[in-house]
Amino acid sequence: MSRLTILLWQVAIALGLAVVWEWGYSLHDRLPWLVPELLDPYFVSKPSAIYDQFLHASCLVDKRGIWNDWGNGQFSKCMARSENNLWVATLITLKNTLAGFAVGTTSGFVLGLALGRSDRLTAIFQPFIVAANSIPRIALAPIIILAFGLGDASKIVTAWLVVVFLVFFNTFEGARSVDRDHISAARLLGASEWQITRTVIVPSTMAWLFASLTPAISFALIGVILGEFIGAQQGIGRMIIEAEARGEAAGMMVAVFVLMIVGVILATIVRRVQNHLLRWRPQSAANL
Amino acid sequence: MTIRIETRDLGKTFAVDGRDMRAVDGVSLAIREGEFVALLGPSGCGKSTILNMIATLLPNSSGEILVDGQPIDRRRPSRNVGYVFQRDTLFPWRTVQANIGYALELAGVAADERRERTQTALAQAGLQGFGHYYPTSLSGGMRQRAALMRTLIVQPQILLMDEPFGALDTHTKLEMHRVLLNIWEREKQTVLFVTHDLGEALTLSDRIILLSARPGRIKEEFTVDFPRPRDAVTLRETPAYAALFSRIWHSLGEEFVKGAQA
Repeated sequence: MSRLTILLWQVAIALGLAVVWEWGYSLHDRLPWLVPELLDPYFVSKPSAIYDQFLHASCLVDKRGIWNDWGNGQFSKCMARSENNLWVATLITLKNTLAGFAVGTTSGFVLGLALGRSDRLTAIFQPFIVAANSIPRIALAPIIILAFGLGDASKIVTAWLVVVFLVFFNTFEGARSVDRDHISAARLLGASEWQITRTVIVPSTMAWLFASLTPAISFALIGVILGEFIGAQQGIGRMIIEAEARGEAAGMMVAVFVLMIVGVILATIVRRVQNHLLRWRPQSAANL
Repeated sequence: MTIRIETRDLGKTFAVDGRDMRAVDGVSLAIREGEFVALLGPSGCGKSTILNMIATLLPNSSGEILVDGQPIDRRRPSRNVGYVFQRDTLFPWRTVQANIGYALELAGVAADERRERTQTALAQAGLQGFGHYYPTSLSGGMRQRAALMRTLIVQPQILLMDEPFGALDTHTKLEMHRVLLNIWEREKQTVLFVTHDLGEALTLSDRIILLSARPGRIKEEFTVDFPRPRDAVTLRETPAYAALFSRIWHSLGEEFVKGAQA
């Protein structure tokens, strides 16, 4: 199939879904066997309402639906009115996601490398890691909120908790599977123990770390949203909970769409970076 | 002439399935300065084991190993000794030139000088223009040439080579022989070259040490006195080559048969 055909199909499917979503429920009374109850706009809203809600939540239009002017300060006045408007919420969630991702991948890498290269540490810590890993991370979220409060710290810690294990296990595996011949080659070329670590073990393990970055960024976002659900003053997760309390399906849907876009952008950036860092591997060159 | 590599009654025993297996037994050899010696034997005869013990990659079970008259120290391999692996062990995350310049980097050589020496090495190996490539995008022959240069760039006086061209096709192998002969005839390193390929041993070496089937013992030695510089291709067409080939071939053949029965 040509790229154009594929694109046409994709557009057609997207439009079809939007049409069903927008007008499908109006057929419910006449064809109750065909249209499920779930399509009720009370639950899932509908595209036009979501778009409307988006314009309001993002301060692009005022209460009467008139476009806010950038010049005369209407936009900034609207922004100032709400502590958790769409822009602020997105920024907060994004910031905490990136922070959790950074802390999680770094600490996961360091731990994985240290344990992966030391049989003694592995033997000592193995039962603790297995035990900690078998706790569903989500179960710890309320405790984290309790301990770290409603601010950013608790969200970063939650994100860290879901990312760190993922990266740890990948790095651990990578550190164990460093090619012995590479280490021998380095040693015979005059490398000291420290130089072997720096120039062979770390770069070779990094390949495994990079492979875990794409899932890690998605996990970080999940962690942050989860933290915001349980206790937060700001963020997109908080927006969803507030909209739910008010029974506003459109409000929730706006937040979900923003999350989707944030997720896609983050994953795309990370995948690009990952492909660049792994350009020496033939398989990653193929899917660039 | 100075002896650069010497083993005395060298032996190696591996534990296989709880039983001791003698891989190398009573090997005493001496290699003089600037000599190119081939260690020839059937597969599994322990020739790589001998080389790896000399290279400090494996501990020896008995006997002594002296490099430049000093017993080797497994924790601190001598900087005078270079090793070329059978497998391609280029670092895949480094470009070809970063691989070749690796040892210079370790030794703290300044970037300018490093670049210059790396470029010279690339040219010597016929890899001009491939410096920025990653190893995975090179052919097997090119990778092995790069690996050879990575070892040679620090100008080791002693070279240990473990069937370095074993995985290459015949044509590429001959090309590698030409490259190696070129370099060696200019620099005259002391070389111990492990191979099971008699043609290769005859093309390259001054002396062939023939090992028996397992446990590896020295069976016979042959002097290869073909004139130098040698041409890897035309050498094979000379009567002297054919005569020596058939002499060693019979002796080697017996060991192949024994190796297959064991």
